[in-house]
Amino acid sequence: MKRRDFIKDIAAGSLFLNFKPSLFAQKNFPDLALIQGDNPAVLTRKAVASLGGIGRFVSKGDVVLVKPNIGWDRTPQQAACTNPQVVKTLVELCLQGGAKEVKVIDNPCNQAKRTYLRSGIAEAAKQAGAKVLFPNKHRLKKIPLNGEWLKEWQVFTDFIEVDKIINVPIAKTHSLSRLTLGMKNWLGALGGSRNQLHQGLDQAMIDLAAFFRPCLTVLDAYRILIRNGPQGGRLSDAKLHNTVVAGVDYVAVDAVGTTFFGLNPHDMPYLRLAHQKGHGEINLDKLKIEKRTL
Amino acid sequence: MKKERSKKYRLIQGLRILSQAIFFFLFFYLLLGTHFTGEDYIGRVEIFFHFNPLLALATFIASRAVFISFILAAVTVAMTFVLGRVVCGWVCPLGSLHQFLSFIFKKAKLLKPKDDENKRLAWKYYLLIFLLVGTLFTLDLVGIFDPLSLLYRSFTVAVLPALSHGFEASLALLYQINFPILLDSFTQFFENLALNSTFRQGFLVGLIFIGILLLNLSRERFWCRYLCPLGAFLGLISRWNILKLKIDEQKCIECNLCNMHCETQASPFPEEKWRSPECVYCFTCSSICPTSAIEFPVGSAPEKIESVNLARRKLIFSSLLSVVAVPFFSLSPSLKRSSPKLIRPPGALPEEKFLQKCVKCGECMKACPTNALQPALDEAGPKGIWTPILVPEIGYCEYYCSLCSQVCPTGAIRALSVPEKTKVKIGLAWVDKNRCIPYFLGTPCIVCEEHCPTSPKAIKLVKTEVKRPDGTIKTPAAPVVNTDLCIGCGICETKCPVVDKPAIFVTSIGEDRSERNQLLLPLLKEDLEILD
Repeated sequence: MKRRDFIKDIAAGSLFLNFKPSLFAQKNFPDLALIQGDNPAVLTRKAVASLGGIGRFVSKGDVVLVKPNIGWDRTPQQAACTNPQVVKTLVELCLQGGAKEVKVIDNPCNQAKRTYLRSGIAEAAKQAGAKVLFPNKHRLKKIPLNGEWLKEWQVFTDFIEVDKIINVPIAKTHSLSRLTLGMKNWLGALGGSRNQLHQGLDQAMIDLAAFFRPCLTVLDAYRILIRNGPQGGRLSDAKLHNTVVAGVDYVAVDAVGTTFFGLNPHDMPYLRLAHQKGHGEINLDKLKIEKRTL
Repeated sequence: MKKERSKKYRLIQGLRILSQAIFFFLFFYLLLGTHFTGEDYIGRVEIFFHFNPLLALATFIASRAVFISFILAAVTVAMTFVLGRVVCGWVCPLGSLHQFLSFIFKKAKLLKPKDDENKRLAWKYYLLIFLLVGTLFTLDLVGIFDPLSLLYRSFTVAVLPALSHGFEASLALLYQINFPILLDSFTQFFENLALNSTFRQGFLVGLIFIGILLLNLSRERFWCRYLCPLGAFLGLISRWNILKLKIDEQKCIECNLCNMHCETQASPFPEEKWRSPECVYCFTCSSICPTSAIEFPVGSAPEKIESVNLARRKLIFSSLLSVVAVPFFSLSPSLKRSSPKLIRPPGALPEEKFLQKCVKCGECMKACPTNALQPALDEAGPKGIWTPILVPEIGYCEYYCSLCSQVCPTGAIRALSVPEKTKVKIGLAWVDKNRCIPYFLGTPCIVCEEHCPTSPKAIKLVKTEVKRPDGTIKTPAAPVVNTDLCIGCGICETKCPVVDKPAIFVTSIGEDRSERNQLLLPLLKEDLEILD
């Protein structure tokens, strides 16, 4: 961290501490913060600040699980995994907000060690002070999900044991759900034959998101994957989009994410379904979005 | 007369044991380090092999090609020339393992010194002749018997996987009883080792290895004495070394302790019966001698040396046996028609060349991040036993990884850079429409397409009209393989949700290394347009 950034952080932090009770009365928060700019760390910090700061989501002494997408053996430039700077910043914020411990874990599609290292996420999160855990099968447990379709599944117990979960997906194209945003990210919390979930993916995403119920979703759209998703490959498959979105309503976060790809939330069957079933808002005009460009 | 064991030689013996421990540790360290550690390019973890003159010679003769890394074998040759078989006694990790077990068996009174079996000493020389004559006819079976190949293969395919299963089981127990202390650190450490624990032939290879280790119950360092072809080779060239045994007849009380405890039956007493080519310079005799009568002074050649005693008839017989073995090993159809399951790692040479170079050491299987590389049983014919094949039902070829090609000690797999590797085709994927979920049920499933690592993807989803079992028509998106783009990595097969027998599978056709095993000829584009 540069000294200047550090001083800025201190200043922002002390401001935050001083004015917390009066400035951030519960009702004034926007539904979504959509921040644009060229530094993923700053975008993340600003997005969380716009929603009322990390103190709104993380309490002192909490154990927090930050769930990025570390699905693939790809580098950050290829935009198949969450940007490591975004993950790192969130870990820092949580710890600054008084979290006792921050865990970072995902169940990848390629070899775990390769994805953790080559995505840059393991190192970045460790630097920020997180406990980065490989998924291992001993921590899997069959858990009642009580979803409409998914009644139970093998889940990594870390997701159950922590106090708060923050979802940090990356925005990518996907052949089945068309896009993979926040709600699709929960497949990374599962073990077992999760590949079979693709047979009813829309409902699976809804049941899973409702079960894990993150206290905050931060959608990394710093780089988005516009082709050949969800892995990409060529650098030209990724596009610099310079955006981070944050919100509590995870359906709304995904809804605004569709617009980055020139789509409408109503184009996405799973979002229509989620909205109809009352999981969140997808009509963008009904959402209070704080848009800022840095 | 003063009765005292030699301090000097006890110190030397101590140094020898230390040296063995260090080299064994080095072997183990390099073997454990043979996996993806964060960098695309791995150091020379296979360096032990390059000091091995038997592999160097056999690979050179069998493939009629020089592999430059083997230049290091000259060090071993030079050392053996000057000092005798010190490499066997001080360096060889398999030798150390045998000796350690012999030591344990002796302490446990399971192994008692027995009469010498002098005839057996010659076995290893006949085996060596058999193997080397075979290489003249390009039949390279050296890797089966070479001590390093044997050790690496056994550890990779059997010992480490067994340890890994044991470790897993104890971790599972600790998790069950919710044992909190350091549990996460243990598991993370273990995961970091990235051990491959699934091998189709782990049991067989392990059984053979255990058998070889148990031979130490019969004679100390049984393998080194009677079987090791590398030991035989080094014995043959140690003829003129300068470290010769000398017994001080004044001191010697003819107790025969030296003969009883000689690790390799070199028979130190009487001096003129000492078999220099069998001696591995462990210095057990000189340190155990109760009167310090045995020494190894530099440059004192005894008048007569007991050299390797080989019967000419048996030499001719073993050479002939090898000549007969050559066509016998060619009976398999594997070179006539490419086997669909014979998917070689990326960078593997054309099959014939590959078999001449592969020494079956299993380094590639250790390096593979997905456990995909497995020892062949019959897929590559009898010559190809324990050579590496990709088994997509177990693992797949990781797109940005070229470790197997980097760690191959003989160049049987050509070293590739990662960008080069991503372009190598090792096979081709096929959809089994009778089993593929969208094709026969009309239910969506895109798992193979999702995992396909190439860009653009070799698996495309195409809307396809499907008559479902209940007679209704559906048009789900179903996978289609683009034969130009598919590299045969096999991740589609590994990840297919039709788990018992995947509905998409890879066969070897289309592999770059083969001229014959190809599917399509590139036709003229203009012609195609006219004919359409």
